[in-house]
Amino acid sequence: MKLNTLTIKKLRRFYSIKRGYYAFIFLGLLILLSFAAELVVNSRALIVKYQGKYYFPTYTDMIAGETFGLDYAYETNYRELKANFERKNDGNWVLMPPAPYNAFENDLRSDSAPALPPSWSQRHFLGTDTSGRDVLARLVYGFRIAIFFSFTLIVSTYVVGIGIGCAMGYFGGGFDILFQRLIEIWSNVPIIYVVIIISSIVVPNFWWLIIIMVCFGWMGITWVMRTITYKEKARDYVLAARALGASNVRIIFLHIIPNTISVIVTYVPFSFSSGIVALTALDYLGFGLPPPTPSWGELIQQAWTNFSAWWLGASVITAMVLTLVAVTFIGEAVREAFDPKLHTVYE
Amino acid sequence: MQDKYTDDLLEVNELKMHFPIRGGIFQRQVGKVFAVDGISLGVGKGKTLGLVGESGCGKTTVGRCILRLYEPTGGRVIFEGKNLLGMDRRNLRAVRRNLQMIFQDPFESLNSRHVIANIIEEPFIVHRMGTPRQRRKWVYKLLERVGLARDAALRFPHEFSGGQRQRIGIARAIALNPKLIVCDEPVSALDVSIQSQVLNLLLELQQDMELSYLFIAHDLSVVKHISDTIAVMYLGRIVEQAPADDLYEMALHPYTQALIAAIPIADPSRKRDKKPLSGDVPSPINPPQGCHFHPRCPFVIDLCRQKEPFLKVKPENGGSDHWVACHRAGKI
Ligand SMILES: Nc1ncnc2c1ncn2[C@@H]1O[C@H](COP(=O)(O)OP(=O)(O)OP(=O)(O)O)[C@@H](O)[C@H]1O
Ligand SMILES: [Mg+2]
Repeated sequence: MKLNTLTIKKLRRFYSIKRGYYAFIFLGLLILLSFAAELVVNSRALIVKYQGKYYFPTYTDMIAGETFGLDYAYETNYRELKANFERKNDGNWVLMPPAPYNAFENDLRSDSAPALPPSWSQRHFLGTDTSGRDVLARLVYGFRIAIFFSFTLIVSTYVVGIGIGCAMGYFGGGFDILFQRLIEIWSNVPIIYVVIIISSIVVPNFWWLIIIMVCFGWMGITWVMRTITYKEKARDYVLAARALGASNVRIIFLHIIPNTISVIVTYVPFSFSSGIVALTALDYLGFGLPPPTPSWGELIQQAWTNFSAWWLGASVITAMVLTLVAVTFIGEAVREAFDPKLHTVYE
Repeated sequence: MQDKYTDDLLEVNELKMHFPIRGGIFQRQVGKVFAVDGISLGVGKGKTLGLVGESGCGKTTVGRCILRLYEPTGGRVIFEGKNLLGMDRRNLRAVRRNLQMIFQDPFESLNSRHVIANIIEEPFIVHRMGTPRQRRKWVYKLLERVGLARDAALRFPHEFSGGQRQRIGIARAIALNPKLIVCDEPVSALDVSIQSQVLNLLLELQQDMELSYLFIAHDLSVVKHISDTIAVMYLGRIVEQAPADDLYEMALHPYTQALIAAIPIADPSRKRDKKPLSGDVPSPINPPQGCHFHPRCPFVIDLCRQKEPFLKVKPENGGSDHWVACHRAGKI
């Protein structure tokens, strides 16, 4: 399919807004990196060479310690294996990821109590938290979950919101009025409190949280979509399609929705950051994803109660600020590049 | 004038479109826009009816009501003997093959997200005609017919000039071989130099395809040459209707006279005895009592303020097809 030259123009303009463009590259790389997090931050080795054979444990089933001549049948501890091999020095070796810890293991030591400060030699680059878990690992995997959560949330809210909003704007009438009043009432329900109440009854998992948040978060985009649809449907190109006898389904999906995309796109970055913030807030309060899911909110909560472990607060706040600022820059640039108001002025 | 148009392809009878003005949280109706307030027209086979009036007098609304793009609040629209108002979707869709529209603004009437091929192909897809390959062939034929190159097919609307876009709109309108096309000011958004090209294209197509046109325009100069009959509209009503030549030779309504006076004249020997109009069109939300035109009429008498004039044949002894709605027609 050929890209519409108008779209190309918008993309060019986005590219020309350097702040947003670099923020986009930065965040894009972070997200890509977080998808490959197992290769960077992981307690499993990348490569093990044992008795002339190569093993790549990263994405496989767990490999029992016995396989490498250890005396246990549970998952190999690759850090110990590495130390072992290095001591013996008989041609076997282990290549660990740069940060050799996962987000769940408690690295407890006999000589000191967690939280441990950042240490280059122990490869806890950002220290450990109060249970001895690696902060970097928690940050990275927490980020991945937050991204995935936010993304799923956006897709679900937008599907619901675009569906209802489009129907409201297009069909109008009683349906429209009913939903208008419903949205007005529903919008006044404080979503965080509702989630807290529900969480105190059931322990919400990932999908529960998504469903709850969609239930109470669909109104914003619905309202936007209603307004645009209402405007679009009165435009001549829609009337022309109706004059041809095109069905409502055809008009909505082939004519109206493609014309609303550039408006919808401008809302995505802001929905994205609000998704991250909402999840972090809930986790902070202890009503989000159940422990021991790695999460920024839980880290903030630890930081709040352990001021002396400054590395907790410092790392999670830096990560949070960087992410949100990047998303905001992207959002601003997208808005500026895609704002249809600029485009309705014909030259 | 009820039985006048019964043989016509399109017959519009006492058409009314009162747009509701809504307010309050339950969107109750709080007022009405009398955009079209009882209009009757007829368009014969292969003929052109020009519908003329100032901006805001309801011309577009008439066109859109005829195509059921708006749901009229009253009257009848009879096309090929069948009333379109109240017709169900299925039957209406069949009618749409014969009844099409060309829009005023060629920048608005084409979906900017679709390439030209898709835009022109849409009528065939909607009416489930042909295979993709046949349809492509038809699209090329139509492009050629309206004077565009084949390579236009894969480009987007904004890559074209206004005149070219209007040609694309015309190609879409004639795709299904319609019998009647409502042309809503098809050239008024175009440069003067291009207007006549597009008008000529419309005239050629009319010849070749035996089309009938309801041709809407806001001044008489455009419709003058292409219409068989001209109807002059003012604030939702028709004030005068006559064969094109008649209307020019002896306009009876003061509004028509003013419109004629407003035409730039190339012939300086023709005398300009009537003054151009002053003032604005009153709001169709509160149309004036009596004759709608009376606040701007230089010949107003008390009767005009009290009693609404109806369309009557002039001269009254018959024999002509000149209709006018004015108490003082013939006396001014
Ligand atoms: N959908 C609508 N809802 C409410 N009022 C409308 C609507 N469409 C048109 N009107 C009103 O009806 C009146 C007639 O409008 P219409 O567009 O038919 O005029 P027009 O003669 O085509 O004018 P123009 O020459 O500017 O195109 C105007 O006062 C307009 O404000
Ligand atoms: Mg108009």
